[in-house]
Amino acid sequence: MAASPAPVPSGRVRVDGVAIRFPSSGGRQVDALAPTGLVLEPGSFTALIGPSGCGKSTLLNAVAGFVPVSSGRIDVDGKAVSGPDPEVGVVFQQYALFPWLTAAQNVGFALKRFGLANAERRSRALAHLAEVGLEGRGDLYPGQLSGGMKQRVALARTLASRPKVLLMDEPFGALDAQTRVSMHELLLGVWEAHRTTVLFVTHDVDEALVLSDRIHVMSAGPGRIVETLDIESPRPRRVDDVDATYLENRNRIMRRLRHAR
Amino acid sequence: MTVSSRDASVPEANKAARSSLPALAAPAWLGPGLRAGLAILGFAGLWTLVTVSGLVNRELFPSPAMVWAAAVELGEEGALGSDLAASLGRAAIGFALGSAAGVMVGLLTARTRLFSAALTPLLTLLRPIPAIALVPLAIVWFGVGEGSKYFVIAYTVFLAVWLNTHHGAAGIAGTYIRASRSLGAGTRREFFEVVLPAAAPHIVAGLRMGAALAFLSLVAAELSGASSGIGYRIQESRQFFRTDRLFVGLIELGALGALLDVLFVAVSRRVIHWEH
Repeated sequence: MAASPAPVPSGRVRVDGVAIRFPSSGGRQVDALAPTGLVLEPGSFTALIGPSGCGKSTLLNAVAGFVPVSSGRIDVDGKAVSGPDPEVGVVFQQYALFPWLTAAQNVGFALKRFGLANAERRSRALAHLAEVGLEGRGDLYPGQLSGGMKQRVALARTLASRPKVLLMDEPFGALDAQTRVSMHELLLGVWEAHRTTVLFVTHDVDEALVLSDRIHVMSAGPGRIVETLDIESPRPRRVDDVDATYLENRNRIMRRLRHAR
Repeated sequence: MTVSSRDASVPEANKAARSSLPALAAPAWLGPGLRAGLAILGFAGLWTLVTVSGLVNRELFPSPAMVWAAAVELGEEGALGSDLAASLGRAAIGFALGSAAGVMVGLLTARTRLFSAALTPLLTLLRPIPAIALVPLAIVWFGVGEGSKYFVIAYTVFLAVWLNTHHGAAGIAGTYIRASRSLGAGTRREFFEVVLPAAAPHIVAGLRMGAALAFLSLVAAELSGASSGIGYRIQESRQFFRTDRLFVGLIELGALGALLDVLFVAVSRRVIHWEH
């Protein structure tokens, strides 16, 4: 097989003056997100952090094409987002694996759009599972996997559709602290290999600090970005070995979050 | 956000609730088949005691031995086999027609706004009409032949399967649909590879209920205007005051229904393996 050329940097997301309103009971409109602008540079890792109701998931869902914007515009590499697209992959907090399919078939579901023969699809699915540390687990059903393993399958499935942008909505929120740390290492390894643009929604300050290049702190009523921090600490970072800048950033975010409510 | 997390935690909660149920106080070394056999034997013993005690008129309430003798007599006449064949054939054809239509219409009303708006009110109006009330209409439309029986059975099965399929297909977790779309699946793949399997547990529950209802409506259909079948035999036994033969018919219905349900559960466990 010929070596493929280095991928052209892509996956630039531009959110321009995007506001999102939902109809609520009584025929009134609720401002889920006040007009918001941000840019995700190709290959960057950006976190959205904030209390519930701050619009962080709403914003992610709009970039995913699940929720229409009320005003403004979102585009990926200059193309307006008009609905779900495999170029913009999503990892959900509740995994959203199909329980009637095995792990390999779940990954194969994403590969079907490439029109491969069955054998080729299976071998690629198993390779994607191996990449997230699930060798030999391809024939297990989601019901037979732990939470951490389910989220690994979900990550492999999303990466299999070769997205330029990876959206993650509190993906490790349901996992215990130890599993979370190993998932962070796994995610960063995968991100380094693929250099996909990542937008990561969380309410865990340490998670955001360990993973991100940039953190947008959000506030509720209406949802909006109240502060943006660039995290320049060298990688790999560890939660159990932090420097002064880390603590400074952490205090700043915590103060912001406390006043956000 | 909170809604989706609650959705996904439901199966876990169900599992926990199921496993924490106290085991029924039956000795573990007895298999389920043996336990059922013992229960039936015990019941037959009690039944015999009541009939030999002289407390009841045995013309009205025959003993198990008398019912057995009537069954042997029916077998020798050849009526037992031909009734069984006639009834099972009707139930099977009515079930096949009703369940096929029920699954199709249920998927349409659950997944398309047009069909939902047009047909859901109809479902609400049709549900209270019992099968037996349809028998006269079925006879007017299809005569006293097989057509009217198929119609009554198919109608009853159709409603149950439609209702369950509709609920199953309308209540699919939004994240499945979102995941499917963001992974590049078109509407066709979404329907066959996501909607259909996600609704399968409800569809199978509907089919199981439909199979039971097929037997109930079978008797309704055969009680008027049939010349064969278990329902017909029950009616005929009443006219000749043969309570023993009447009991044979009732026991046949009970045993067939139970057997069918056991088979149904065994097959559905394999089809929707991920639910167990």
